[in-house]
Amino acid sequence: MLLEAQGVTKAFGDFWAVAGADLAVEEGEIVGLIGPNGAGKSTFFNCLAGDMQPTSGRILFNGVDVTRASPEAHARAGIGRTFQVPATFEDMSVLDNVTVGAFLRHPQRNDAREHARRIVEMTGLRPEQAGRSLGTPGRKRLGIARVLATEPRLLLLDEALAGLTPRELQEAIALVRRIHESGVTIVIVEHIMEVIMTLTRRVLVFNQGRVIASGTPEEVVRDDAVIEAYLGRGARSHSRASGNP
Amino acid sequence: MKYFLSPRVGVCVLAALLLLFPIVFSDAFYRDIGVTFLLAAISASAWNIVGGYAGQVSVGHSMFFGLGAYTPLLFYTLWGWPPLAGVPIGMLLAIGLAVVIGMPTFRLTGHYFSMATIAVAELIRIFTGTWSLVGGAIGLQGPAVARGWWDLTFRSELPYYYIFLAVLAVVLLTTAAVERRRFGFYLQAIKASERAARSLGVPVRLTKLNALALSAAFTSAAGSLYVIKTGFIDPDSAFGILISVQMLIVAALGGAGTLFGPLIGALILVPLQTAANTWFGGGGSGLTFIIYGGIIVLIARFEPGGLCDLWRRFATRIWRRAHAA
Repeated sequence: MLLEAQGVTKAFGDFWAVAGADLAVEEGEIVGLIGPNGAGKSTFFNCLAGDMQPTSGRILFNGVDVTRASPEAHARAGIGRTFQVPATFEDMSVLDNVTVGAFLRHPQRNDAREHARRIVEMTGLRPEQAGRSLGTPGRKRLGIARVLATEPRLLLLDEALAGLTPRELQEAIALVRRIHESGVTIVIVEHIMEVIMTLTRRVLVFNQGRVIASGTPEEVVRDDAVIEAYLGRGARSHSRASGNP
Repeated sequence: MKYFLSPRVGVCVLAALLLLFPIVFSDAFYRDIGVTFLLAAISASAWNIVGGYAGQVSVGHSMFFGLGAYTPLLFYTLWGWPPLAGVPIGMLLAIGLAVVIGMPTFRLTGHYFSMATIAVAELIRIFTGTWSLVGGAIGLQGPAVARGWWDLTFRSELPYYYIFLAVLAVVLLTTAAVERRRFGFYLQAIKASERAARSLGVPVRLTKLNALALSAAFTSAAGSLYVIKTGFIDPDSAFGILISVQMLIVAALGGAGTLFGPLIGALILVPLQTAANTWFGGGGSGLTFIIYGGIIVLIARFEPGGLCDLWRRFATRIWRRAHAA
């Protein structure tokens, strides 16, 4: 098992954002995390990435306990992440942005530069373009390129494909697929069902800090608890009556 | 046009101008302005490493400047050592102080580091003023007459000018080397987003600490140069907040986080200060604060990137026009 989260909780005062979540990801999988707004998936995601420390529970990566490890240690271990709002290094060029990530495995400047160039080429960005001049699609792509440069074994994508036009979305899906084919395991938080349905084979649905359903994308969209979580209590009976998920 | 805008040509022209300045302007008044300009450029370039590149705004850098200023004269007063011998010790002490301050404050986010630096600098200033070993409020005096070349006590400004210029060259070359290496990339990433930098494996605290230590060492060297030239130091001229503010403003005016920004800032601010002092004499002593305040407002409102950023935009526009023609 590459990633294992066991009974992870995260409390902010009396409020339990994550109330005992489990997740197990095999090497080579693409797993989707979905759920309505405020379901706790981003908090859970931040715990997986080391950005937040869980209140209780354990997170194992490749058999090593990383529950209390820093984000830097996560990156060194091989866990990479993107951000919902891409945190571009504005004053740096695209190539420089990616070089920051490349330095993790290539401490020498020339090696890091060369590795960064390969990643930039693969993600279809212009190396000399200034970070600040990128639009949303470019920033999302740069976020992925930067983390890819750290050569992660596990990639955590936090709504990395949100806010794109249909054409940009197709390109981004193709990019994620290429990354996966190169041997990177992926956990993806996404609201766009097209992304989940196209890319993932297994989905976990979050609601009120808990995993309420898991299975293939086709299974979870028909799950009563999922329909109720997204559409409210009345929707389940309506869905049954109409015969639609 | 292409050659006019080339950075390499610009650096060569700047180096030639700086080397020739005291020969062309041989009057002691102009040479003194030149020395003051170099000292301001060295201090601001040192501040720039942590304040500009890493974005950790220190408003108490005078503590390192003061350490560098006091140490040579303290050793001279206690044991008759040439002030030059105290310079490396001052730098080591400054590095130690940087580590002591950086370790707890870099754990925090936001403006805690800035607040901590002000507090420590002020505490040291007050403490120094009451400590008889370092001369209390009166301060310390260096050798009045040179016992040898190693005392670095000269009548002319010329040797000081070239010594200061050599130190400035070392600071700038070091900064240029930092810019090109992993350390420099990490500093810029930390400035832009600590969270994102951390997620890419950047050891944020250690990198900031190294930047502060390097910056502190150079600032201490600036303090030592100051005291070697003036031969006197007291708590206010070593640890006063105006010294820290001047470093910050010189760097911000030229362009914080750029190699030549502090140099350009000093080139504008030092003559401006000298002119204000000449025009208004002793009655205009508060004018420095007004100038600083005005510059802060103007930079914050119109050019947060400083004059270097303005020049970059201007040069890009000219370059594009020249290319299109």
